[in-house]
Amino acid sequence: MKTLLKFVAPILLLMVCEALFRLGIWEGMVKPESHAGTSVRLKRALNDPAMQKLDFVTLGSSRPVYGIDHEALARIALEHGAVHANLSMPGSHWMTVDVLTEWLAAHRPNLRGGVIAMDLTTFMYPGNGSYELAIVAPFRGFADDAVISAHVPFKRDEMASWGAHSALYQYREDIQDYIKAPLQRRESVNWWNAMPAADVLLRNAKEAREMCEFGVDRVAACDKVDSSTTEAANGLRHQCRELRGALAGQPDFAALMRQQPMPDYLQQVRDNIRSRLRALHWPRPPVVVLMPLTGAWKEASPLGLHEWTLSVLQPLVDEGRIRLIDATDALAAADNGGCQQYFDFFHQNDSGRQMLMDAVLPQIRAALYDDAPAPAARVAATNE
Amino acid sequence: MLFNSLHFVVFFVIVLALNQGLRPWPTAQKFMLLAASYYFYGQWSWMYLGIIVYSTLLDYSIALGMVRVSRPRYLLLLSLATNLGLLAFFKYANWLIDNWNAASDAVGFALQVTPIDLILPVGISFYTFQSLSYTIDVYRGVSQPRRNLLDYALFVSFFPQLAAGPIVRDYEFFRELDGEKRVDAGDVQRALVLIAFGFVKKIVFADNLALYVDPIFANPSHHGFWDSLLAVYAFSFQIYCDFSGYTDIAIGLALLLGFRYPQNFNYPYFADSVQEFWRRWHMTLSRWLRDYLYISLGGNRHGNLHTYFNLMLTMLLGGLWHGASWNFVIWGGLHGAYLAFERAVLFRLPFWNADNALMRTLRWLLTFNLVCFAWIFFRAKTFGDATTMIANIAGAAAPAFDPARHLGMLLLLVALLAVHLLGGWKGFKEWLARERGPVFAVTLATIGLLLIWFTPAATVPFIYFQF
Repeated sequence: MKTLLKFVAPILLLMVCEALFRLGIWEGMVKPESHAGTSVRLKRALNDPAMQKLDFVTLGSSRPVYGIDHEALARIALEHGAVHANLSMPGSHWMTVDVLTEWLAAHRPNLRGGVIAMDLTTFMYPGNGSYELAIVAPFRGFADDAVISAHVPFKRDEMASWGAHSALYQYREDIQDYIKAPLQRRESVNWWNAMPAADVLLRNAKEAREMCEFGVDRVAACDKVDSSTTEAANGLRHQCRELRGALAGQPDFAALMRQQPMPDYLQQVRDNIRSRLRALHWPRPPVVVLMPLTGAWKEASPLGLHEWTLSVLQPLVDEGRIRLIDATDALAAADNGGCQQYFDFFHQNDSGRQMLMDAVLPQIRAALYDDAPAPAARVAATNE
Repeated sequence: MLFNSLHFVVFFVIVLALNQGLRPWPTAQKFMLLAASYYFYGQWSWMYLGIIVYSTLLDYSIALGMVRVSRPRYLLLLSLATNLGLLAFFKYANWLIDNWNAASDAVGFALQVTPIDLILPVGISFYTFQSLSYTIDVYRGVSQPRRNLLDYALFVSFFPQLAAGPIVRDYEFFRELDGEKRVDAGDVQRALVLIAFGFVKKIVFADNLALYVDPIFANPSHHGFWDSLLAVYAFSFQIYCDFSGYTDIAIGLALLLGFRYPQNFNYPYFADSVQEFWRRWHMTLSRWLRDYLYISLGGNRHGNLHTYFNLMLTMLLGGLWHGASWNFVIWGGLHGAYLAFERAVLFRLPFWNADNALMRTLRWLLTFNLVCFAWIFFRAKTFGDATTMIANIAGAAAPAFDPARHLGMLLLLVALLAVHLLGGWKGFKEWLARERGPVFAVTLATIGLLLIWFTPAATVPFIYFQF
């Protein structure tokens, strides 16, 4: 027995370490500038005594980080004696919505409702890649591996995907990075820790740059990016690679939807999203906002993607489970294809946010605070 | 099939279970181990498995024949010619052709030979040396020929040692094979410690050091003093961790199967002379070179000059054994020169050999740096790259230390050296392997964490597999 214990003890110790990491022992040391760091910062702000009352949240990716006026939503909430926090994070996809809403259900059971701001491209695949594991890590439950695997399946050859089943693996790169410069990390963590919770949860991201040097309405805008040597162009090359890659392998979702049976991954997308939204038992149905897409992304996206997205969401609207605000084309008719409203091919700048909010804020306000149920709305393209 | 692959783990677990299950039937157990060894090698190349089988059958027959014929010398020559011929063909043919072409080009002699399309069989340098040692020992009367072909085939091809040693002697192997092969809890603990340390050395240290070393040695002219200096020291630890890590795993795996193998590394950078370094580095190869080459050449029995010549020739051939490249010859030549210089000068200076801390430190410092200097030639792709590295380090350009680039590596190397010296000084591993549950558990768990956190994304093959 003693011998057996001796050989089992190292495995038990490793399991204890795994448990400690799942419980968040490393969260205080995570690199603040990383995906996990953003998430940890959010969690810390949510745990701040001043933020214990929480009524409404905004969830979503980097598009709502820049494209939604979080300060306006917080102001409206305040007018109603409520608190509305921004929990959107760059890189978030539906897995983050899954995990974050589970966490909120456990830690903020009095939550009244929220905005889930996504865009058409999040309806293409069940997951957004293994990097999203870092975003959800601080909010994960102790035994949610099955939920995670639905978005990021385990692949033996892709070590990053091992984080789906192990918190020790999840923080691998962060620990490697920490070892390289531990003192720098400590300073950085302390600096971010000093930031007030309200600044993390209630403030807008500011961005004044625009895209009129290149345009955003066609993938061909990337040719101008290629020929430019400016710093702005350098920052866009990665997005151009993504755009061209998407254009080159453009599937026809309209045709795939008609296939019998429908491809597995599309069924999985549909089922994951519907089951998540149906599982939300907030007093106010969640407001799903489809964020604006640039012309370039519409060109590169799968054919019929918009139709597919609406086919996923419309039954939920009909059931009264969600309120839908489709703002996909809200900025399409702006001058020069909306180049003044975006600072890259994905994200709106301050002006774009203002234009979008002019169009959708009344509907969001109505959906969150008015008593009369609001029907699904498609926001008309505006040219202000 | 690499030791650090899932394929191998599954394979070994099955072999381990069968090995235990077949203990009452030794012949079946040997058949199973031989089949497993051939399968292990076959995963790399079924075709080249034929060379092992051929070498096995030949040396088995030659050894049996030696005790029956009146002039066994001819049989020994046949064994030497066949084994070394195979080794020379696969390892040196293209190198000789390249040198021939270069030389004929230089003298305007238009007889170019087309290189042969060859892949070096994994482990050929190791199993041919092991097989040769057997026929030489039988010839010398040190060993009796083994009558059981199964036993001999297993001696040549036993999978834990097949790819990169250790190079064991026939009597060492057969003693284990004929023994009870009982594995108790202490053996399992020792084996697990060896395997765990082996993986940490290989995966955590060697593979991560390679990420720093490789780009610098690939383009030495693009780097300066600190990059080059740290790359040389980093490679010194990379190759130690890579090779000793492999042998730790091999010895640990063999121990789990009931075979106790000789030690192959004993903290070589702890040595305070190059002679001692070779008693601690790749000990089974050093022993082979000493017993079958140096002593055969006359050793130190014919005067100083002859001894120095024997040392030089042994090390030159030892260098060439590592690979077909003039850089390996230079590496071996440097070690030969070091050994000769120590015998001729340093060992005769009483103050140099004084037994005090200062002189011990000076001796260690000189030895460590001489060994590291020689590694430059071992690692560099060409002679030109090696001289560029040396010029970077010895050059007159002001060395600029960039803490962001160099400090982390410098601290890691100092830490590695400290741990290495501590291990050499106190026998840390043996201390750890004793019956102490908590220490064993914490150490293994820590090693597990290191492997989880610091395994590079890409698998890197063992360096010595190419030899």
